[in-house]
Amino acid sequence: MKRDLLLMTAPVRDSFDIPCHEIGPKTSHPAAAFVAGLHGDELNGIFILARLADFLNNVEAGRHPGLTLKRKVLIIPAVNVLGVNLRSRTWPFDKSDMNRMFPGSLSGETTQRIAVAVLEATKKAEYRVDLHTAGSDFEELPQVRLYSPTDAQRKTACYFGLQAIMERNLSPVFTTTLMYAWQVWPGQSFLLRVGQGGTVQLGHCQQVFRGLVAFLGRVGILDGVSLVEGDDEPCLFRQGSSKRLYAGRAGTFVSDRQVGRWVSKGQELGYIYDSFGGQIIDKVVAPVSGLLTGIRRHPLLFEGDLLLRINPKN
Amino acid sequence: MTKTVETIFSLAMPYRENLAIRRTVYQGGNGPRVAVTAGIHGDELEGLYVCHRLAAWLDELQRTSPEALLGQVELYPALNPLGLDTLTRSVPVFDSDLNRSFPGSVQGDLPKRLADAAMGALEGCSLVVDIHASNIYLREIPQVRINSEFSDTLVPLAEQANLDLIWIHGAATVLEATIAHSLNSRGVPCLVVEMGVGMRLTPEYSDQLTLGLLHLWQEVGVLAPEVVLPALTHHPLVADDSNVHYLNAQTSGMFVPAAAHWTDVRRGELLGTIVSPFHGETLSEVRSPVDGVLFTLREYPLVYEGSLMARVMARKGGA
Repeated sequence: MKRDLLLMTAPVRDSFDIPCHEIGPKTSHPAAAFVAGLHGDELNGIFILARLADFLNNVEAGRHPGLTLKRKVLIIPAVNVLGVNLRSRTWPFDKSDMNRMFPGSLSGETTQRIAVAVLEATKKAEYRVDLHTAGSDFEELPQVRLYSPTDAQRKTACYFGLQAIMERNLSPVFTTTLMYAWQVWPGQSFLLRVGQGGTVQLGHCQQVFRGLVAFLGRVGILDGVSLVEGDDEPCLFRQGSSKRLYAGRAGTFVSDRQVGRWVSKGQELGYIYDSFGGQIIDKVVAPVSGLLTGIRRHPLLFEGDLLLRINPKN
Repeated sequence: MTKTVETIFSLAMPYRENLAIRRTVYQGGNGPRVAVTAGIHGDELEGLYVCHRLAAWLDELQRTSPEALLGQVELYPALNPLGLDTLTRSVPVFDSDLNRSFPGSVQGDLPKRLADAAMGALEGCSLVVDIHASNIYLREIPQVRINSEFSDTLVPLAEQANLDLIWIHGAATVLEATIAHSLNSRGVPCLVVEMGVGMRLTPEYSDQLTLGLLHLWQEVGVLAPEVVLPALTHHPLVADDSNVHYLNAQTSGMFVPAAAHWTDVRRGELLGTIVSPFHGETLSEVRSPVDGVLFTLREYPLVYEGSLMARVMARKGGA
């Protein structure tokens, strides 16, 4: 069922809403809450959640015999609705980052009011998931991000069945994010980073879609999911285990490497060309052996830009 | 006394050009170092003009009494040069707010590297003043904003800055990733000045602050006591979380002010209206909740529900 999280007026356009899906038994709080599109250009997450809503609505309608939704699921495919339509990461009117507005304020700025509505709808869920991508110039291997996690969270993070779980420390910069606002509530919160901004990457989306269905199955919200165990054990990468490679030269970067592949120390991963002169000025070589968990996709390089991230096997 | 323009950070851009952050340094004796930073947001220009006024004053000092500069003055008018040169508030390409990137890091996102370079350059200063010009939406009277965590050190300095308001914020509402918070945390006193409005100059505010900065520099020992400065012309009111009232839009539309910025207003007085270009009636009236000073007033007319239109400060002690 579609519900309006909140309805707002606009200066000259029609009033607009931020819609969500509420699917499953009609209880007061959802058992699981999924949020994407706090940034309007993070299309993978928006697509995944819209597809998940369609799937669960079909489960509810009896179109997937053998599957039963035991508990309520709330899905907000996009919080920054206008940003999606205008292809803008930020709230288009004042260019504010909607993931820096939490916990929000009922009497404050527009984006703070939206933040309140999102937090109120999701904070009492047992499981909360916020989906993001990298920016439009970088591609992230679909991964679970954990911030100063407990062992229980590490265990639940494996339920998504994604190849990598990456741990980070909570930084003061992030105290105004949805993830941070969630952490003070009972229950578990997860951030998924999926691919690159500004595009839909079908392979990543299908993988994470399956991961979300598996997650719902493993935590007992969706009954009847057939789960394949054990073939792809996720890699848990602790804080500080990432090896990042930065561009020694400015120029044009090209690489045909795929995230999620294992690379060997010394392997050539790409080239930097002089953007004016056209000659190769640097070979990009893997500094260590490990899993390629992120790579630059925008070709134009400022000196010192991040090129790629490799996580050595534990 | 010498004057040099130095580059504190430089790197190659993708196609031939260089990105450089420059500062103007006036070196006198071995006394304290002071700095002025501006242009962290590419749409805030008031601080650039203050840097020009200060440079003009220092050029004149160099001609007339160079021995009066006891220490070193550093002007950083353009910490976000790409943003300033392209009318962009954030750091272009990286789309991040430079003043949410401090203290920065040696490697990583470019804004963080810019922040790190600025932090390194400012280390050891006795006083840094970071000048902001609000944004394109709101006009502000000349003011200093201080985190209560650092108010013991900063308020006595701010009182001599020739500004009209000192606004002390509770620690919880302060953004930690700003240049000011990062410098103050490392023991470099930093005052944040907000004045005027984005994309415009308000020369009288700049002159007012310029005089205040010269007094502050004399106070910290960068200028010799013998330098004769005009007397301060402004003395600040004090605001904190208890006496500042926010007026956020009840509905979306076009805000039309009815009161002048920086005037005394009475409780219930009409400050403006919200109207629709499609209809003749008034959608919402904006009235002052208290007797006080209208110190923030919306400059950009269109508002969404929740947009800030004005701030009114109740005078403390009934003055």
